[in-house]
Amino acid sequence: MADQPDGIVLPRHRDLQGRAWHPWVRRCLLGVVVLIAVLALVGVFGQRPSTTRASAAPATLSVSAPDAVRGGLLYQARFTIDADEALSDATLVLSSSWLDGMTVNTIEPGPVNEASRNGSLVLSLGHLPAGASYVLFVQFQVNPTTVGRRTLRTELQDGDQPILTITRHLRVFP
Amino acid sequence: MDIVLRAAFAFGFVFFLTRIVGRRELSSLEPFDLIMLIVLGDLVQQGVTQSDYSVTGLVLAAGTIALLQVAVSYVNYRFRRVRQVLAGEPIVLIDDGRVLEQHLSRERLTREELEEQARLSQLDSLDKVRWAVLETSGQISFIPKQ
Repeated sequence: MADQPDGIVLPRHRDLQGRAWHPWVRRCLLGVVVLIAVLALVGVFGQRPSTTRASAAPATLSVSAPDAVRGGLLYQARFTIDADEALSDATLVLSSSWLDGMTVNTIEPGPVNEASRNGSLVLSLGHLPAGASYVLFVQFQVNPTTVGRRTLRTELQDGDQPILTITRHLRVFP
Repeated sequence: MDIVLRAAFAFGFVFFLTRIVGRRELSSLEPFDLIMLIVLGDLVQQGVTQSDYSVTGLVLAAGTIALLQVAVSYVNYRFRRVRQVLAGEPIVLIDDGRVLEQHLSRERLTREELEEQARLSQLDSLDKVRWAVLETSGQISFIPKQ
């Protein structure tokens, strides 16, 4: 009878020659999984919202939305306009990147008018008296096939007159 | 195309996970492990097919996974050195009745677990074991002394 079972090579399988470092490979790879979980906890993979604010003489615009989202995810963008002076026709112009590859579930409150201008979505919100605050909610869902990084431009206008622009970035993970 | 890539990624990631969690975790199927297996399957499915409920999606995803499984199996069969990486290697736990504690520790196995496995193999004492080998499947094979 052989000393050891067939297929067992004692130096390799009992004395672990050349295998001493194997557990460290496993630990390092486990570390990668831990790192991914930690990055997720700090919000790298979405969908914690951040707020970007810009002010000009007649109004302040705040955009609150996630900087990172994942395929299929439901998320919200909140646009807040604080009018220091009256705006006769407050208008939000959202670049096409806000909508491309996304599903817009709802826009509340519904704008007075919607239009397209050079590929951008133009939302007319109507008259805003001085001191008024207007909050617009847009509910999105990421289409499963959408991935990559994009630049989101939001412009506040009074009629056709530009007031200010906010530029943000959105990263879509698969 | 997207669903094929997702299925391939899911296959690779689950394969990677099974290699790094350790063999003992894979071989045991306690009630909790069974539930986790179902949960994992559900999570993988969501990531692969997402909101695709079509038969085409099923064919693409299942076909991709099946092909990759065959590919891994072929590579395992054809290349010994790759097999060591993909499937791992056996490790001796008992040599002529002597428990190799360092090897148990390496595989996160306790002596009690080893004794339990021995009992399941109709062995009432580790002293009666000539060889115990933790196989690549995660199961422990016992060869009693003559």
